[in-house]
Amino acid sequence: MKYVQIAALVLLAVAAIILCVIGAGPLAQLQSGFLGILSPLSQSGNAVKNSIGNLGKDLMTLDQLQAEYNRLLSENKQLRAENNGLRDLQADNDHLRSILGYRERSAFHLIPAAVLGHDAQAWWSTIKINRGTKDGIATDMPVITDRGLVGKTTAVSREMSEVILITDENCKVAAKVEGTKDQGICAGARAPEGELKLSFLNKLADLQPGQKVYTAGVSGGVFPSGIALGTVKNFHARELDGEAVLEPAADLGSLEEVFVVTGAK
Amino acid sequence: MRTALLFVLLLILLPVSVAVQDLLPAIPPFQERVLLLPVVFCFGAMALPLLPALCFALLVGLVQGLAILQIESGQIELGLVGPVVFFLSWAILLQMASEATRGIRWEIHAMGSALVTLTLIGGEFLILCAKRGGFPADMTVLMRCLVPAGSALLIAPVVYFLLRSLVPLVPDAGLGLTRKSTLDA
Repeated sequence: MKYVQIAALVLLAVAAIILCVIGAGPLAQLQSGFLGILSPLSQSGNAVKNSIGNLGKDLMTLDQLQAEYNRLLSENKQLRAENNGLRDLQADNDHLRSILGYRERSAFHLIPAAVLGHDAQAWWSTIKINRGTKDGIATDMPVITDRGLVGKTTAVSREMSEVILITDENCKVAAKVEGTKDQGICAGARAPEGELKLSFLNKLADLQPGQKVYTAGVSGGVFPSGIALGTVKNFHARELDGEAVLEPAADLGSLEEVFVVTGAK
Repeated sequence: MRTALLFVLLLILLPVSVAVQDLLPAIPPFQERVLLLPVVFCFGAMALPLLPALCFALLVGLVQGLAILQIESGQIELGLVGPVVFFLSWAILLQMASEATRGIRWEIHAMGSALVTLTLIGGEFLILCAKRGGFPADMTVLMRCLVPAGSALLIAPVVYFLLRSLVPLVPDAGLGLTRKSTLDA
């Protein structure tokens, strides 16, 4: 074997050892750099995917176009009629708003983000979003949709972030059940199937299917209180505690737009 | 020079394959995902000479390790050790297979891709069971291991012939030729 090859082999071994003993801090930076490399690829890939999807959606036969035109024409007439009636209501509404000093308010500062892709790994449920440090995103920020909690940010690069979903076994959320004093810990499964498990409940708890579950918002935790997590599908008592299976409030299988909670207003 | 060109091509394909596999939809009815990284890895490990193949395996291990990295409260759940050792070991095995068949063959590449995918997902599951406790092996877990491996078996020939159509740039890189010509290159 030539000396060059031996030297290369030694260098390779040294590199492997360095990679194996590297600590959490440098690894997080390395992961952020890796996300930075992936960011333009994921964003352009997602744009291509969307345009291909839209192309399929936009293709219509002449008959379909005619039907669509007729439908829009009748909808237009209906909306014009409704619009005339709403003008008066708008004036009344503006007047009432000014009287009440009403302001549209949301409990949180939200940053909208587009989902770039779902992680293909088998045992981890994560997604990538098109917002990063340049938009004010940091790790451990809650991510929601208008329907409920999605997860939290775990790794952040300049233009892209990774979000661990609530269906992941590692994403644990303190939760409370609507209309009761029951609280538990909500988490996903090792091989996520889209359901959540609410554990450490009182084994005598009387949970009924359809009851809503919200984040409990423990002090020092990541998730604020009152965000919808899901609804109870079933409940069973175990030896020491009770466990409920939940249907997530947000549709985690087809996420396209999410909001990152950067703080309270 | 030719080996270097193939190496660079494979390096470019590494992040591309990760980005593409994240964009691919889940396979119904089990909603399992397709992994492209092991398929690209197998091609590199079999087509490159030993030393570049080991370097490539190290980089694939790094990429896979970063893709599954979870840091919770400063604690790393799975570091880079597992993926790096895994891909280095498989690179040596695939080199031996490539030597035995006197060059890379599409059937061996397909079988290798399926086996690497299966052992990667299965190995990750076992490590997670050891770290988190419990062994929730059921039909979902079985499908989560088998479906991506089956997908890799089906996708590998496509990737193989796609790369072969690109690799006339580097005609002596061991593709369809004997290992001796690869090493001579």
